[in-house]
Order: sequence, then C-alpha cells, then structure tokens
Amino acid sequence: MDSLFIEVFGKPHGIVIYQLLAATKYTIYLSLVAFIGGGLLASIITLCSISRRSSLEVIAKIYIWSFQSIPLLMLLFLTGLGVPRLFDINVNPWTAATISLVLFTAAYIAEVWRGAIASVPKGQWEACFALNISFVSTLQNIVLPQAVKFGLAPTVGFMVQIVKGTSLAYIIGFSDLMLVGKRWANAPVIGTEPFIIFPIMALIYFGICYPLTIFARNLESKELTKS
Amino acid sequence: MELRFFEIYRSSEFLYLLAEGAFLSAGLTLAAGVFGFVFAFVLAVLRFKSVPLLGFVSAVYIDFIRNTPLIVQLFFIAFGLPLLFGYVWPFWCHALLALSINFSGYFAEILRSGFASTQRGQLEAASALNLSNGTIFSSIIIPQTLIKMFPSLSSQFIFLFLTTGVISEIGVTDLTHAGLFIDSRTFRSFEVFITLTAMYIFIALGFKAILEILYQKTLGKRVV
Repeated sequence: MDSLFIEVFGKPHGIVIYQLLAATKYTIYLSLVAFIGGGLLASIITLCSISRRSSLEVIAKIYIWSFQSIPLLMLLFLTGLGVPRLFDINVNPWTAATISLVLFTAAYIAEVWRGAIASVPKGQWEACFALNISFVSTLQNIVLPQAVKFGLAPTVGFMVQIVKGTSLAYIIGFSDLMLVGKRWANAPVIGTEPFIIFPIMALIYFGICYPLTIFARNLESKELTKS
Repeated sequence: MELRFFEIYRSSEFLYLLAEGAFLSAGLTLAAGVFGFVFAFVLAVLRFKSVPLLGFVSAVYIDFIRNTPLIVQLFFIAFGLPLLFGYVWPFWCHALLALSINFSGYFAEILRSGFASTQRGQLEAASALNLSNGTIFSSIIIPQTLIKMFPSLSSQFIFLFLTTGVISEIGVTDLTHAGLFIDSRTFRSFEVFITLTAMYIFIALGFKAILEILYQKTLGKRVV
C-alpha cells in the first residue's frame, strides 16, 4: 500500500501522505467513539431534562451548562494529567481523550435534542396524557418522530465540531493525524516543511468534515422546504 | 489523594503569571474578535452580493476555515508562513493573526445567514420606494441583521474564546501557558487545571455580561 503512495507522490511525500492517512484512522475512530458515547450519555441527559421531576431537570441543566463552559482543552488536561496525578493512577491517552470528548459531546448534543423535543407543541403531551398513553409510548411514538426532524441537522453539524475537537487530543499524547503530522513538520527532512505538511493535514480534516457539513446543510434545507 | 490548592495560591509568582496569562488571553481574544468581525463583514458582503470571483473565494474561505481545526490553522500561520516568506514576528502576533482568521470564518457565516434572512416584503417595499441598492443594504439589511444575529455572534464569540487555549502551543504566554508552567513546577495538575477552568469560565461570563450591556446600550434600543 505504502509503495503505491511512493510511486504516485515520490519519495518523502508518498511516505508522509501514507502515514498521515494511516493516522487519520485514529482520528476517525476517536470521533466515532465520542459521537456514539456522547450520544448515549446525551440521551440520558435529555431524558432527565424532559422528565417531570425537577431534581433531574436541574441535574441535566447543570451538566449541560458546565460542560459547555469548560474548555475542551481543560477537560483533556484534567482527564489526561490532573486526575491521574491526583489519584496516582495510569490513564492511557485513549481513555482520557475518549472520556473528555464524550463529556463534551454529550453536553452539546443533549442541548440540541432537548431543544428539538421542546419544539414539539406541549398540547401533544397533554393530549397523550389525557388519552392515558404512557410516558414511554408518548415519547417513542408521538414526540420523537417529530423531534427528529428538528434535531437531525444540528446533530450531524455537531459531528464536525467533534472531528475538529479530536485534533486537541495529541496534547495528552493521543497518536492521531495531528500528532503524526506535527512530528513530520518538525522533522528535518526536505519536503516536509510546516508549510507543506499543515496544508495537507488541513485538507485531510476538510475531507472528513466537509461532507458532514454538506449533509447537515441538505437535511436543513429539506426541512425548510417541507414545512 | 489530597487537594493542595494552597501550593498554587501562596506563591505570588504563580498568581502573577495567572493574572498576566488571563489578561493576554482575554486581550488577544477581544482583539481577534474585533479584527475577525471586520473581516467577516467584508466576506459576508462579498458572499451575499455574489460579487464575481470574490464571492466565490469568500465562500470557499468560509467553508475551509469552518471545516478545519483551529490548531492546524494556527500551526500553519505560526510555523509554515514565516518559514515560507522568511519573516520573524513575536509569538502573539501569529496567534492574533490565526485567531482573527479563524473567528472571521465563523462570524461571516452567521452574518451571511443574517443578511439572507431579511424578509422579502421589506426588500420589495424598499425597491418600490425607489431606494438605491446601497441604501437598502446599509439602512435596512445591516441594522436588522446585527440586531437579529447579535445573540448568535456573542455566543459564538464565547465559544471561540474557550478554544483559544491552543495558542499556548506556539509559545504565547496565555492563561493555559501559565497553567502548564505552574503544573511543571508544582506537579499539582488537578488543582492547576481546575483553577484554569474556573478562570476561563469567569472570563467567559465577563465577556457575556459586557456583550449583553453593549447590546442593551446600542442595538437593543432599536428593537420595536
């Protein structure tokens, strides 16, 4: 595989591009794990925020507010350096990066989903309550199908933020596109100067993020024309 | 496990570093916000008016900035460009340039959607009254956009402020840099980063309050 890249791009560049693309795999894995984990946590928080118990509602609100306010970089430092030193344990970069990104993602997605559910008219909840339809059934059959159309586009749009967020994980030693690229940019090899490597990296990130942006944009315009 | 916050707070050197870092972080963000907004305005107008070529360039620019991480843009500007063109700037200048460029992409997108969301009826009324294109733009579209989009712009600004910690990676002595230095001296990582987080949140709240007051004093009065 790498010999093909060397054929096409020549000597240092073929190797560099091959290694960058190989490292991109980890950027994508981390993004997917963050999105799935964040989505699961976000659904719990969303459930809390729409529940009729005010204590759960307050917990959801505090969670969303605090994790939207804590900079992602600080979250990474806290999970990657702070907590391990405090408890004298070893936390590998994968775990720390995953935990930080999951916490970060969940706060933003929960807010999107809460808003989407809130945009379904309240009368529908009341009608279901009057018809003695259970909470779960109301949510599942009546509210969620309508909320999805409000929530889908911003959720896909937020995936771009997750991918961009993973670029910070190299600071705590997570080996992804960013770390490999930075190492090449620092390497004293002719043809891997920073002004060549960083644009290539930007293009790779763009290649991941832009399709998501377009997808989100299409979903959004579809919704606008429908309603 | 033992929390020893006092190891940070008892040292006047550390407190001074934190204060200096906080000022630099807030100042650079504020300056980048202003430059970014001005640049974004130009971009959004070019895009909205579909100026030949330049409109396309600005559309590509906005999408490119919004779909690549700040840190890659920062490294390119701080390490790539000086090597390519052979100039030497202090670290904070690179950071300011990178942040302004980054901010401008996000602000331009918000402004553009604001311009585009002006009600059709108003534009038709304005052209029926024989107002020139320039007047329509400057006295109908722009004021409404600013009023409508102020909340989005201000929350985007706060969000961007929270991402500025990465400028410490190129050696700018901002708040994160101060924290990392103190961490390397005391090894009280948890306490240091909790302190930094609190300071970031505190500054963000300050920005939010200032923007809110600014809005009430200027644009808010014009809302009918």
